[in-house]
Amino acid sequence: MTAVSARKTGCEGNCENGFGKWTYTDNTVYEGNWVETQKHGQGVETWPNGYIYKGEFKNSVWSGIGILTFPDGSNYEGEWANGFMNGQGKFTWSDGKEKNGTWKNGKLQK
Amino acid sequence: MISQNRYLNKLKTLSEPVRQFSGLVTVTVIIILSFAILNIFFGQGDELVAKMKKEEERIAAANKLSKLISTLPSGLLVFYEGSDHYKLTEELYETVCNVTKLIPQRAVMGANLTNFKAKQIYTNNGNLIDETFVKWDKENNKCIAGFVLSGSLDSGENEKITVSGEVLNFLSTGIDTRVYFIKNF
Repeated sequence: MTAVSARKTGCEGNCENGFGKWTYTDNTVYEGNWVETQKHGQGVETWPNGYIYKGEFKNSVWSGIGILTFPDGSNYEGEWANGFMNGQGKFTWSDGKEKNGTWKNGKLQK
Repeated sequence: MISQNRYLNKLKTLSEPVRQFSGLVTVTVIIILSFAILNIFFGQGDELVAKMKKEEERIAAANKLSKLISTLPSGLLVFYEGSDHYKLTEELYETVCNVTKLIPQRAVMGANLTNFKAKQIYTNNGNLIDETFVKWDKENNKCIAGFVLSGSLDSGENEKITVSGEVLNFLSTGIDTRVYFIKNF
């Protein structure tokens, strides 16, 4: 007999107002604070293909201070707004190369 | 009627070998004519055979690739060192690149993270993608994947944009392989 375990989706904890873990059907996981069913405050969002965002959320969007780790090991640590790197931040490539600066909508300003 | 009888009588007067020979010629002519008529309806026989052979070769190649894909372990496939995931050989990396067609939503969303306009178009237009592509770049020995988005930006202007980059991970499901991470930065 083969055991089949269903993939767990939905909420563990409080995903309305409080702290909870939400597993999406595509296996993306958010664990953190919720305000009126929105991701708001500190949290960690892990995508199934390896992106991990750890930091502040505003109305379910990456906004505030946060670290995004890319699937290849590169990461950006700094300010976020509207889901993009916006403000001061540091990008570190997987080979250790770094770039500091001001970012606007995901692009480093010269 | 009279002339028909005369013709039959004339035939009877012919010697047996001549009659047999003319019978043989008649049968041969009938066979050749039959084939000529068949060729009119089912013509281009050589072309058809060539097409069928090509199709058979294509099916055989597809089956071979499908068998190869089914031997890969389920999970992430990479081509570089320093990861816990299954490492593809250079040859297999190219093969997997050539057979992979699917780019899942999270891979698109990830690539859009570093492309402001692409994210706007993707979000504003119901996550619609015009076209996706996965191709082997012979010059640089890299697998390149991307997608084309078109639609309205937040400003209301319409734009068409192509996002592409190197494929750093594939996902093997046991049935097919998918692009999992497009590095476009």
